[in-house]
Amino acid sequence: MTSTTPIRRVAILGGNRIPFARSNTVYSQASNQEMLTATLQGLVDRFNLHGERLGDVVAGAVMKHSRDFNLVRASVLSTTLARETPAFDIQQACGTGLEAAMIVANKIALGHIESGIAGGVDTTSDAPIALNEKLRKILLDLSRAKNGAQRLAAAMRIRPSMLVKPALPRNGEPRTGFSMGEHAEIMAREWAIPREAQDELALKSHQNLAKAYEQGFFTDLMTPFKGVTKDNNLRADLTIEKLRSLKPVFDKKVAPGQGTLTAGNSTPLTDGASAVLLASEEWAAAHKLPVQAYITFSEVAAVDFFGKKEGQNSEGLLMAPAYAVPRMLARAGLTLQDFDYYEIHEAFAAQVLCTLNAWQDKVFCKNQLGLSKPLGKIDMSKLNVNGSSLAAGHPFAATGGRLVATLAKMLAQKGSGRGLISICAAGGQGVVAIIER
Amino acid sequence: MKTQEIIETPSLAATFFRALGTGGKRPGLVKTLPKVELAIPSVTLDAQHIARYAALTGFSASQGVPLIYPQMLTFPLVTAYMCSPECPWPAMGTVHLANSIEQYKSLRAGDTVRVEMGTGQLFTHEKGQGFTLDLRILRDGELVWSATQSLLRVGVKETAGQPFASQLALDTSLSCQTEFTAPADIGRRYGAVSGDRNPIHLTAITAKLFGFKRAIAHGMWTKARALSYLLPADPLERASTAVEFKTPLLLPGRAALWTERSSNGAQFEVRDKTGMRPHLRGQLSY
Repeated sequence: MTSTTPIRRVAILGGNRIPFARSNTVYSQASNQEMLTATLQGLVDRFNLHGERLGDVVAGAVMKHSRDFNLVRASVLSTTLARETPAFDIQQACGTGLEAAMIVANKIALGHIESGIAGGVDTTSDAPIALNEKLRKILLDLSRAKNGAQRLAAAMRIRPSMLVKPALPRNGEPRTGFSMGEHAEIMAREWAIPREAQDELALKSHQNLAKAYEQGFFTDLMTPFKGVTKDNNLRADLTIEKLRSLKPVFDKKVAPGQGTLTAGNSTPLTDGASAVLLASEEWAAAHKLPVQAYITFSEVAAVDFFGKKEGQNSEGLLMAPAYAVPRMLARAGLTLQDFDYYEIHEAFAAQVLCTLNAWQDKVFCKNQLGLSKPLGKIDMSKLNVNGSSLAAGHPFAATGGRLVATLAKMLAQKGSGRGLISICAAGGQGVVAIIER
Repeated sequence: MKTQEIIETPSLAATFFRALGTGGKRPGLVKTLPKVELAIPSVTLDAQHIARYAALTGFSASQGVPLIYPQMLTFPLVTAYMCSPECPWPAMGTVHLANSIEQYKSLRAGDTVRVEMGTGQLFTHEKGQGFTLDLRILRDGELVWSATQSLLRVGVKETAGQPFASQLALDTSLSCQTEFTAPADIGRRYGAVSGDRNPIHLTAITAKLFGFKRAIAHGMWTKARALSYLLPADPLERASTAVEFKTPLLLPGRAALWTERSSNGAQFEVRDKTGMRPHLRGQLSY
C-alpha cells in the first residue's frame, strides 16, 4: 500500500527575534537556552500558541555547550507551548537557521506535520571553553585508572600550564587554519573588490536598518530582551568617513598591508536568536492566522575550498551561494532578475560583492557554473532593503530566521512578489531559498 | 652643452662639508635655470645594497628591485649639482617638494646602468622658487627608468617660471589601509643606506639647528614605505608613481597609509595617526 499526499504549499505566518547584541555586551550573561526560550515564547505570545502542540521545532546553535545536547527541546519545555511538542537540534554553521526552516517546510509540504517552528540561536559571549586538550586526556585516563598507582601516575602528568591554557573556540576553518575574515579577504583579492565598495555596502546596511527601525518595521518581528529593544551594533549616525578611518583587520596572514576588510565592513561576533512559524494553509486558516508568504524553493551547495586541482586554485570559502542560486533558479525556471527583493546575508560586505561579481562574470558562469551566459546584475535598490547582518550583527544560527521573517513581511506588505535568500556558511557551504506571495 | 661625467663619487663627509659651504650663495633673481648635465657612466646594481634598502623600507625580496630604489643611484649626481657653483641656491635648506618616477623596464640586481641627471625647469611656488631635476637610468643605451625631482628654495621673493601645478587628483575618498612606525633612528639608518645625511634627518639636535622640532623622516623613505604596501608582491615591468610632500613626519612617529585602490594602481596619502594631517600625497599606476 502506498498513499502519497500531494505536495502542499508551505506558509510563513510570521517570525520573531530578540534584538541582536554585539558579543560581550548586554547579553554577555545570557545563555543560548535563555535567548532561544525568550524568542520562542515571544513567537508563542504573538500568535497565541499557548498549550498548542506543534508538529516540530527545529533549531540549532553553532557555538554550543556539550550540556546543551538537547538545546531546542529544553527551550520548548520552558515555553507555554504544549510539552508534547517535539524538537531537535541541527547545525550547519551560518546556514543553520535557513536549513532548519527548510526541514520544517519539507515536513509540512509532505504532510508529515501541519505546523512547526524553525530557528536558531548563538552566543559568542557565553562560549563553551573546553579544558586544555592534554588535561582532558589526563582526566579521562584518571577516570579509567583502576588503582591508586595508576591514578597517581595520571595525576603526575598534570602541569599548571594546562590550567591556564584552555581550548578556546575559534571562528576559523579547521582545514585551512584561516579565520572566516581571512578567507573573505582572500576572496576580495581574487575578485578585486575595492575597499570603497565594501564600505559603501556597509554604510547602506546601517542606513537601511536604521530606516526600518524608524518605520517600525521590526515592531511585530521582535521581542525585547534584557531591556534591549534594538540591535546594538546599529550605528544610525555612521558615516563613510568613519568607515574609511578603520584599519583592515584580516590582512596580516593573507595580504599584509593590502587588506580591505575592516571591523566596519565585516560582521561582528554577535549574540541573539530568531524563530519563524511555518504551517500548512489549512492549519493557518483553522487558526485564523494570515499567510505572509510561501517558501517555494531551496538549494544547498558546497565548494572545494582547500584542495588544488590541476593547478587551478580552490574556490573561495564563502562562494557556495554563487553555485546554489543558479541551480535553484534552473529548477524554478527563473532568472536572477525575476525577484522583487534580495536578502543576501552580509557575512562580510566583500562576500556579497564577490557573489554579485561572480554572477556577472562570463568566465566564472561558463567554467564554474556551466552556463552559456552570465546570470547578470541585480537591481541594487532591491538588495537588503531593511538592512542586513553588517548592521544588525550576525549570531550565526539566528541569521536564517531573521532573513525569512524579514522577507516574508516585506512580501506581505507589498501584496505580491518574490524574494531570494542567500546565506554563506563555514565549511564552504551555501543555503539559498525562494519565498513568494 | 657637454655632459660632465663623474667617475668617482665624493665621500659622504666631503659632501656634507661642501653642502654646508654652499650656504653663502645669494643669487638674487634667477630667470632661467642654467643647463647642466651630469652622468655616472657605469654603475652596477648591488644585490646587498638593494636588500639593505628593502629592509629599511619594507619591500619584500619577491617585489624585485623596488620601483623607487634607482633614485638611490642618482643621489651622488644631485648632491654634486647642488654643491656646485652652477646651482644657484645652497644645498642646505632646499626642500624636496615632489617626486615622480616612471619605470619602463624592470631592473635586476647585477644590471650595469648609466645614471644621468639634467637640470629641468624653474617654477613659481607660493613658498618660494621651485626647480626640477630630471633623473634617468639607461641600460645598454635604452632608457629604463626616469624621474623628476621637484625642489623648492623656500623664501625666495622674486620667482620665475610657470606656477606649480599639482599633478595629483584631489580625491578625498581614501580609507585607512594600515599604520606604520617611523623609528627614531630611521633617519640615520636611511641616511647610511642612501648617502643623504642631511642633518635634519639625523638627530633632534641637528634638526633643531634648521628649525625643526625633532628629526624628520626622509620624504623618499616615507614614499618607499607607502609603496612597499601598495605595490604587488611580484616585480613589475612598467609602473609609475608621483608624490607631493606635504608636511614633515617627525621622528619617532606613527603614520597611517590612506588609499583608494583600483585594479591597476592606487591613490594614496601618508597621514599622521589621527588621519587629519597629510605627510605626503601620491598616486601609483601599473
